[in-house]
Amino acid sequence: MNQLSPVKVGVVWERLNGLMDQVAETCVRTSFSAVVRENYDFAIGLLDARGRQIAQSRRSVPSFIGTMSRTLTAMLEKFPVDTLKPGDVLITNDGWLGTGHLNDITMIKPLFRDGRHLGYVGSIFHTVDIGGAPSPSAKDSYEEGLNIPVAKIVSEGVENRLLIDFIEANLREPEETLGDIRSQFAAYHRCSERLLRLLDEEELDDLEAFSDDVLDRSEASLRRAIEAIPDGVYADGLIADGFEHPLEIRCSLTVRGSEIVVDYAGTAEQIERPVNSPMTFTKAYSCYAIKCALDPGTPINDGTFRPIRVTAPEGSLVNPRRPAPVWGRHLSGHYMPPAIYGALSKVAPDKVIADCGSPLWNVYFKGRREGTGRPFVKMFFMNGGHGARPNQDGPGCLSFPSNVSNQAIEQFENQAPLLVEEKALVPDTGGAGRFRGGNAQRLTFRNVAQTPVVVTIRHERVDNPPRGLLGGEPGSGGLDLVNGKPIPSKSQTQIQPDDAVTFQTPGGGGMGPPGERDPAAIRSDLTSGLVTPEHAKLHYGYDV
Amino acid sequence: MSTDTASFRIGVDIGGTFTDVVMLDPGTGRLANEKVLTTPDDPAEGVLNGVARILEAHSATPEAVQTIIHGTTLVANALIERKGVRTALVTTKGFRDVLEIGRELRYSIYDLFIDMPVPLVPRDLRFEIDERMTAGGQVLRAPEADSVRGLAADLRAAAVEAVAIVFLHSFRNDANERLVKEILAEELPDMTICTSFEVMPQIGEYERTSTAVANAFVQPIFRGYVQRLVQELGRRGLPDDLYLMLADGGTVRHETAVQYPIRLVQSGPAGGAQAASVFGRLAAEQNLLCFDMGGTTAKACLIHDGEPLKTDSFEVARVFRFAKGSGLPLQVPVIDMIEIGAGGGSIAQVDKLGLVQVGPESASSKPGPACYGLGGGRPTVTDADLVLGYLDAASFLGGDMALDKQAAEATIRRDLAEPLGLSVVDAAWGIYETVNESMAQAATIHALESGRKVQDFVLIAIGGAGPVHATNLARRMGVRRVICPLGAGVASAFGFLASPTSFEFVRAAIEPLAELDPGRIETMVAELEREGLGLVKSAGVSPETAVTSVSVLMRYSGQGYQVEVAVPREVLTAGDKDEIGRLFDARYRALFGRTERMAAEIMSWRVVVAGPKPVLEPQAALREGTALTGERPVFFGETGGFVDTPVYDRYRVRPGERIHGPAVFEERESTIIVPPDAAAEADPHGNLIIDLET
Repeated sequence: MNQLSPVKVGVVWERLNGLMDQVAETCVRTSFSAVVRENYDFAIGLLDARGRQIAQSRRSVPSFIGTMSRTLTAMLEKFPVDTLKPGDVLITNDGWLGTGHLNDITMIKPLFRDGRHLGYVGSIFHTVDIGGAPSPSAKDSYEEGLNIPVAKIVSEGVENRLLIDFIEANLREPEETLGDIRSQFAAYHRCSERLLRLLDEEELDDLEAFSDDVLDRSEASLRRAIEAIPDGVYADGLIADGFEHPLEIRCSLTVRGSEIVVDYAGTAEQIERPVNSPMTFTKAYSCYAIKCALDPGTPINDGTFRPIRVTAPEGSLVNPRRPAPVWGRHLSGHYMPPAIYGALSKVAPDKVIADCGSPLWNVYFKGRREGTGRPFVKMFFMNGGHGARPNQDGPGCLSFPSNVSNQAIEQFENQAPLLVEEKALVPDTGGAGRFRGGNAQRLTFRNVAQTPVVVTIRHERVDNPPRGLLGGEPGSGGLDLVNGKPIPSKSQTQIQPDDAVTFQTPGGGGMGPPGERDPAAIRSDLTSGLVTPEHAKLHYGYDV
Repeated sequence: MSTDTASFRIGVDIGGTFTDVVMLDPGTGRLANEKVLTTPDDPAEGVLNGVARILEAHSATPEAVQTIIHGTTLVANALIERKGVRTALVTTKGFRDVLEIGRELRYSIYDLFIDMPVPLVPRDLRFEIDERMTAGGQVLRAPEADSVRGLAADLRAAAVEAVAIVFLHSFRNDANERLVKEILAEELPDMTICTSFEVMPQIGEYERTSTAVANAFVQPIFRGYVQRLVQELGRRGLPDDLYLMLADGGTVRHETAVQYPIRLVQSGPAGGAQAASVFGRLAAEQNLLCFDMGGTTAKACLIHDGEPLKTDSFEVARVFRFAKGSGLPLQVPVIDMIEIGAGGGSIAQVDKLGLVQVGPESASSKPGPACYGLGGGRPTVTDADLVLGYLDAASFLGGDMALDKQAAEATIRRDLAEPLGLSVVDAAWGIYETVNESMAQAATIHALESGRKVQDFVLIAIGGAGPVHATNLARRMGVRRVICPLGAGVASAFGFLASPTSFEFVRAAIEPLAELDPGRIETMVAELEREGLGLVKSAGVSPETAVTSVSVLMRYSGQGYQVEVAVPREVLTAGDKDEIGRLFDARYRALFGRTERMAAEIMSWRVVVAGPKPVLEPQAALREGTALTGERPVFFGETGGFVDTPVYDRYRVRPGERIHGPAVFEERESTIIVPPDAAAEADPHGNLIIDLET
């Protein structure tokens, strides 16, 4: 193997990451899926001939971290590498093989250069319509839509008609999903053309030498960071609201030398509700949490994950068996980072944050439009307060561990017959501490249609608010109200004309004992009104 | 240079360190320029000094000056340094935190310690009024006059100097904002009041609030500055109808500019882009990538068919590494420009992965690169340029500043060569290649974002470090021609002289194309045109020479991105909706290579009224003597080592003479590197045109 100079490696890496970003930019801008466009629920990646991921578009949401090479492994079991031909494209949306739920479609195309297998380009994108009837009451994944098993959707440049007809027949809005699928084919083509030119220009025969080098560098970087953590077993646990019963999530980190094992033994068993997080999703958020805390600022590739092992009991909430319903997998998966940070806070308190007001809150509104009477379905995202950091307060309402932006109220009101009466920070909702948790927000939507609107929610952190860390107090729990009266946090409620539904997201947890808070910071909170005098007195012993 | 009739045109650009002044005699095409130190405490002083200096140097009288066009970083700096006035926000009940909540998105995905930009108006100065407009533009609740008067008392008590009024959906119907403004103006006659419908009537409450607030925050300061400057100019017999350069490449009279100071937020770089389009036109090139590399950052923008590409939003005061999303969003027409943390002062180091990292950390001009010998102990891009022979220790800044090559080598050896096991020269080459690659990637993605291929453009290099890196950057992007204009160091001020008087209006009108009433749009355009013509007429443009261009921002129903489509006036007059649909499809296809089956919808209309673009024919003032001044060893990647390379005095190169690479051309503020397999030729206007065999 040729040794590449570090300058060469740096330049090629910059070019490959840039290539991924360029292709992602075009795909995202033309996608039919609003979630892809507005929240970058999309990733494109490059894998070497051995299926190791080298580069990934940089703005993707964390759910896709490291999933592509695992999906490829499953694909190659069915279609061995030596049977793949130029012009083939493989597909699946299987939750256990892909990213954890059916709405994410993964496709991977083998790349060839002069007849020799070079590697793969692949992408993952979120599609809104995947058939089925996903709902909070789904008992298994069959209800949640069409499962496309690992299949060849394009064979030597020819589309698999039968498969496409089959997908088309099972979707409500097939033009959009198929439109997005086909636009990926064009993206792979552009990507592979540019990749081949890049290799020519950089005088590289294949990706292997480069890949060996960058994967080793990424691995070494995280290993060094882990080595700085004293060996030991650090455990933590938290309680999720769950459906009928609360659900416990247990996490232990075993640090030995330059390796970390994250284990979720003791976590609740899977339930017949769509909150189970398949292992692939559990791993993505576990690796993400560790990367953020210990080695931020370097690009992600398969080397990054070598020092991390994630295990969980089969049949548990975070490693469910088929056919557990998984549509709302984030309702468990978003608990991985706080569980890991709780454990890590015992040994590296300066590297972690207190609990954020997540899993991500959203709401679906379904009804009929004024005038035309045409049905509408609108999803709306709301983030909670961010957890306090070891050296600063948590910002109010910032997305974590996902990264999903809100929608402008002025846009939203154009698309649904709902009037938003407030979108405001709520005083006293951030957990008290040396550093305070971020404030929660409250939104009130009034039904201004002549017909009822169905409101579907699945909200966590209502009964079990975000925890503080290291003596910090918890943030406030979330609230769901119709006309001022509480409704269950996981429910489908019909609201009548002129009814109002209110959501208050959870506040972020505090960090460090409140008694150690700088009085100037308390005064500043009192001036801004983010903290009331009563709260200041009660939690900080501060007399105005 | 002296004449009896007022004909000289002067451009003045206030930068961080220098205030540049350019004077053009349109009769002869002769250009003169001066640099004076910027006077941060009172920037007007620097302007007046510079103007006096250039007049004196060329024995011209103040009466000989016809126009002064001015651009300044004052607005951007006031926002970055938070040095505006105490400002309040008045907004719809229930929405005062919109400004603080923002988009809820993290701009840096792995950073747990992310800093979000702090709003310009603190929470206790954000007031609410019980009013509401529907999405369709119907008044659901009008503000009560009494409560507005009560609010006026609160504002007085809060001792604010400016107030922004931003209500939901005011871009559709401004009645409530207008009403509140009238009452507050009555109650608080000395207060600066900015309504969002006047500043920028665009959809998106967070961005519109941020824009209106920023405008209010800087307006009193900017107004005071302009008034003082106009007074002083008048006192000295200079023209007091001062013009200001806007971020979209147009100029307006000062009375208009002080209404919308936020539109000046990028005026210097906009001048640079306009200058590039003039230099390009002189070289018969219409499609240009303008590349401006200075001490701290590099900027790039595209010029297509001779016009810089524009966009409708900008982010100022980014708090983290120029990252998108870490600044204050502004809805303003601007030349579409990217900025990355890669300049001559960018610091090079070995990152955690054992690779070369350049920037965004910068040694700036103080302490500066190690070779400046001003205490900078870390290797920078300029240090690498010196080691590679691209810069010369003795002739930097025309020989005014000796560079310390040993210091450059020592820091590169310590921080890069030794840790990486490379020679000093290879490490320097690594810095050069790495910074060029990141600029190439950024520029390539920038071109793609506007649906264009960077290879179809000619690179034009300005800024002190631009010409040093231009040819290597061009090769990386597959660009074949590079233009290095004369006077790149004062390009912005020169660009002001090349900019037309113009003003852009934006009106939101959200509706499906199928439901468009062309008659209504025609009426709206006619009204805006009248207003625009009034503005340009007051600036001395005769209405017959003014041009109104109309474009529409459209998307397929349900999409989140808008595409700007130019609509010829006759299409609008004919009410040809189908043609608008076809134009949209064609533009979309050009951008994305396909069209969609969904219905098209309209988001907003843009109307630009512009006077004629001044035609400039600057003449190069060549010096006598032979251009070849010597030889020095210069490193080229193409040859893998140092080559004895001829050095030319840029000011002595005769037009038409073709010089083959490798070659170095030295000018006062920069150095142009021509690699082997390339050839350079000067044109009669002083442009050096380099063709790369790729």
